[in-house]
Amino acid sequence: MPEAQIDPKPPRFAVLAKYLKGYKGYLIFGGVAVLFANGLLLINPYLLKLIFDALEQGKPQSQVLYYVLLMLGLSIVAGLFRFFMRRTIIWMSRKLEYDLRSELFEHLLTLSPSFYDRNRTGDIMARMTNDLEAVRMMIGPGIMQISNSIVTIAVALSFMIILSPKLTLYSLLPALVLPFLVNKLGNLVHKKYSKIQEHFSVLTAAAQENLAGIRVVKAYRQEPQEIEHFGQISQTYVKLNMDMAKLYGVMFPLLIFVASMLNLVVLYFGGMDVIQGDIPLGTIVAFFSYLTILFWPIMAGGWVVSLYQRGTASLDRINSVLFTPSIVKNDRAKMHIAEMKGEIEFRNLIFAYDGQPILNGISLRIPAGKTVGVVGPVGSGKTTLVSLLPRLYPVTRGMLFVDDVDINDWDLGSLRGQIGFATQEPFLFSDSLRDNLRFGEADASEERVRAVANVAALSKDIEQFPNAFDTVVGERGITLSGGQKQRTAIGRALLPDPAIVVLDDATSAVDTETEDQINERMHAALKHRTTFIISHRVSSVKEADLIIYLEDGKIVEQGDHHQLIALDGNYAELYRSQLLAEEIEKL
Amino acid sequence: MSAQNGFHEEEALGKAYDARLMKRLLKYLRPYRAWVIAAVLFLLVGSLAQISLAFITQHAIDDYITTKTADGFLLVILLYFGVMALALLASYGETYVTMWLGQKVQYDIRMEIFRHLQRLHLGYFDKNPVGRLLTRVTNDVNVLNELFSSGVVTMIGDIFTLLFIVCALLYYNWELALITFLVLPLLVGATAIFRTRVRDVYRKVRTALARLNSFVQEHITGVKIVQLFTQEERINRKFDSINKELQTHHFRSVLYYAVFYPVVEIIGSLSLGLLLYYGGFRLHDGSLSFGELVAFIHLVQRFYRPIADLAEKYNILQSSMASSERIFALLDTQPAIIDVAEPKHIDRFQGRIELSNVWFAYNDQEWVLKDVSFTVEPRQKIAVVGATGAGKTSLISLLYRFYDYQKGSIKIDGVELKDIPAKELRSHLALVLQDVFLFSGDYAGNIRLRDQSISDEKVREALERVGFGRFFDSMPDGLKTEIRERGATLSTGQKQLLSFARALAFDPDVLILDEATSSVDTETERLIQKALDELLKDRTSIVIAHRLSTIEKADKIIVLHHGQLREIGDHAELMKQRGIYYKLYQMQYKKQASQKEIRANIAG
Repeated sequence: MPEAQIDPKPPRFAVLAKYLKGYKGYLIFGGVAVLFANGLLLINPYLLKLIFDALEQGKPQSQVLYYVLLMLGLSIVAGLFRFFMRRTIIWMSRKLEYDLRSELFEHLLTLSPSFYDRNRTGDIMARMTNDLEAVRMMIGPGIMQISNSIVTIAVALSFMIILSPKLTLYSLLPALVLPFLVNKLGNLVHKKYSKIQEHFSVLTAAAQENLAGIRVVKAYRQEPQEIEHFGQISQTYVKLNMDMAKLYGVMFPLLIFVASMLNLVVLYFGGMDVIQGDIPLGTIVAFFSYLTILFWPIMAGGWVVSLYQRGTASLDRINSVLFTPSIVKNDRAKMHIAEMKGEIEFRNLIFAYDGQPILNGISLRIPAGKTVGVVGPVGSGKTTLVSLLPRLYPVTRGMLFVDDVDINDWDLGSLRGQIGFATQEPFLFSDSLRDNLRFGEADASEERVRAVANVAALSKDIEQFPNAFDTVVGERGITLSGGQKQRTAIGRALLPDPAIVVLDDATSAVDTETEDQINERMHAALKHRTTFIISHRVSSVKEADLIIYLEDGKIVEQGDHHQLIALDGNYAELYRSQLLAEEIEKL
Repeated sequence: MSAQNGFHEEEALGKAYDARLMKRLLKYLRPYRAWVIAAVLFLLVGSLAQISLAFITQHAIDDYITTKTADGFLLVILLYFGVMALALLASYGETYVTMWLGQKVQYDIRMEIFRHLQRLHLGYFDKNPVGRLLTRVTNDVNVLNELFSSGVVTMIGDIFTLLFIVCALLYYNWELALITFLVLPLLVGATAIFRTRVRDVYRKVRTALARLNSFVQEHITGVKIVQLFTQEERINRKFDSINKELQTHHFRSVLYYAVFYPVVEIIGSLSLGLLLYYGGFRLHDGSLSFGELVAFIHLVQRFYRPIADLAEKYNILQSSMASSERIFALLDTQPAIIDVAEPKHIDRFQGRIELSNVWFAYNDQEWVLKDVSFTVEPRQKIAVVGATGAGKTSLISLLYRFYDYQKGSIKIDGVELKDIPAKELRSHLALVLQDVFLFSGDYAGNIRLRDQSISDEKVREALERVGFGRFFDSMPDGLKTEIRERGATLSTGQKQLLSFARALAFDPDVLILDEATSSVDTETERLIQKALDELLKDRTSIVIAHRLSTIEKADKIIVLHHGQLREIGDHAELMKQRGIYYKLYQMQYKKQASQKEIRANIAG
């Protein structure tokens, strides 16, 4: 993944440690809970032995009852501690998840567009979901399981040694195979599983390609061949899965086999000892019980290792986002905060992106309150030019000034807060129309919302929506037409009463009639604001105080409409062809 | 992964069991009936073997250990070992066969979906985004795999295991068995309460998580807007409230688990205590042996697992019902473009195309083509021009039978288009679209697609004829060179040449072409024009034209405007009319003409 300005090796556990420090109490209390939960429960098999001894020796039932009640009592107290164990450790992992997610999201909001140009939304979402979960699993269930295993094994072993050192030795010999076996099989499973996953991507890609290219497939009658091809891929997928099945088929039965083996060893050697009168029957029964309890903690070792591996890999991926610095930010404590007049000056502005020159020496001075129309072919740098005003991309010092203050000296909030921007793609949030309109100022009055809706020629449309201004748009609500979206975006840009307004091709999907309406209404609304209008339609910029024609990042023509027509250059050509298009449309 | 179609789609979980769906699902097992039976047999043998270990233990304790007889003890141990081995084998067989079953069924369903998708009409693909259809072929099928591999058979097995244990316990000592069953209601009750609670909270977690994820996705997609309007703080607060909500639900679920596990342990101790206490009495009066008591303890432990497992299966059932519902909905969609029952064939293809009064709409009554009539004679070159939205693309889609027209008729060599099997029709045509779709793979594969009857020679010849041959000089692998990232490294012009070569390789009788509008450099333009000449030579062609040169060479120009045929004739005739074509020419082609002149002057 190309993430250019990432710290080559961010300290892996730095972020985690910061939060864990705050949860010291949880960790300590959790540790104590683990100790008691397991320690107490492990007395029970010993009690089992005592009960069997009592029964064997024909002791009165009251003795048995006493032990049974003790056993129950211990279980209840141990259960209490087990409750606290989860309540602290897993609880903490959920808190940590919350913390990390908050930090990630907060950080993501500070990253500039160039980060998002390089990283796909899907990848970023994967950090927020899968990776976060993997880290939580490592911290929560991972820590809980490993401490559980350690305590259980230590305590159980002590009891077993007290009961019979010889039987402990014999029964644990086969048990030693377990962690080794689990690890080995686990690795094999992992390898096969990655292979399956890889092939699943191949399968997905094949299906995706077929579906995306269905026109070509149909046009060239490739359906049977496509089915055959996909069939082969599916067949391989089946084969790989069956490979896994063979392994799975061995793995679990084998583990159970080993577990039974332990019982068998105890039954034989313990049985012989009982026959020879060395130990009582109760000892064997207690051993059976201990071995059953020990089985999972021993196996869990392998599981915890894989949790750790996955967790740290995910942590690295999360770190790579968290340690990506924001390239556009307030770089000093005291920045310029002021009410903006809206005077803009480009001083021989040069801008390159990814090594590609985009703007090559733009010089322009725009007095406050004037309107500038920007036209030019696709890729000439129009959008980039206006994107620099709110510092969406970093601008070299000394090239761009607002109210005679270098744009790098403006407080970012103050700068952006006074620029109303309607972007090319009118992105709306799945909220109500009202909330979308007042996105820049959440507490704007109803009057203001209605006023900007009116300017953007939205009022009539809104009246027709089921819930008027409360109508939710987007995936969970109604689908707006392209033109309606754009008009909402215009309204949104105007609402915070900005000193500078940028309309980046903001009416491309609006029909001409409505556009005329908007132009007319906006005329008044924009009178005192410095306005940039980027458009493919001459009609949108015709009335501007100044029109610039961009080509290859340079201004090749500038002047007002009449001057440019008189010049008879690119602009005039554009104008003529659009007049013709209009004529054709009317035929 | 196709995450682009959102995190909230298809989150809803339906009911866990739907007899209608289940019946249909089980049909997929029918071809493998023998294997299902084998799996169940393996399972029975395995669980019987596991249970008989308890019997052997009892036998060892009662007849050898407590009676202090060493003779023959080893034999019992060997028997124990033998049964263990049998259990191992049976368990292996069961796992393997069930997984095999799951895979087979999964393969069958996946191929059925894929095959069905190939048959569906284009209109279906217009309505359903690729991501959604892809989920059917991939994830939904995988969910069903889980149902068949670890659901159905295991569930039968669990039920039988429970039955066996109950019988064994009753056989040993019915009184003690009943005492053991005393705690069962407690266990079942606790599990049931836990399950419903967890399920509810799990649902809440899923909903909150879906909300959170779609919130994140939305604000990452719209991050520019958030930053432009300096709303970072407010959005962070909003995010925090969703994040907090999710945390609350998570905490709830932690609590449930934290309570449930100890409760189960305590219930276990309770049952063991009861067993020991009453077992003590029975030992005293001699109606129970030590071995039997130990066997009891073993069996009771085995008892709990299947109960927990059965509850676990609920989730699998639930998600597989949802998936199968979606899959069946797709499979039940009938293709709208189908061949007629008694198709007609064109004996000797000439390429005469006749449209009379054709009306077409994608959606009811919103006519995209209105009353269009014209005739194309064999080997004629037709150029279709018009502004965007005039209906040009729809027109050629009809010829290809991607969609069916509602009124009027289209005839090819006198046969109604709808009466010709789509395959046969398309075998005479080749389509070159504006957006060139390249498949992953090498150059050869993108020319011949998967049609192996087109030889390497033919592929090479096609590439040569469109002037693409020279690009191969620098490629070590020649035709086998991979097209990386589906052609992202190729220029638009190169991609167009490739699509021309593809059409040439299939050597169609009629060529239908949607010329790309994007501008290319002069050199590529020259190449493309040459390739076009090659492509259009000696065949009937219908071209949505953007190039002046293409239009000038056309035998007939058809001017579409707002879905109607407004002008028809050759260039000179139409210019004379001073109508739409004249204006279009002024607007679009004049510039090309002057550029051509300039180039000619420079060259001259």
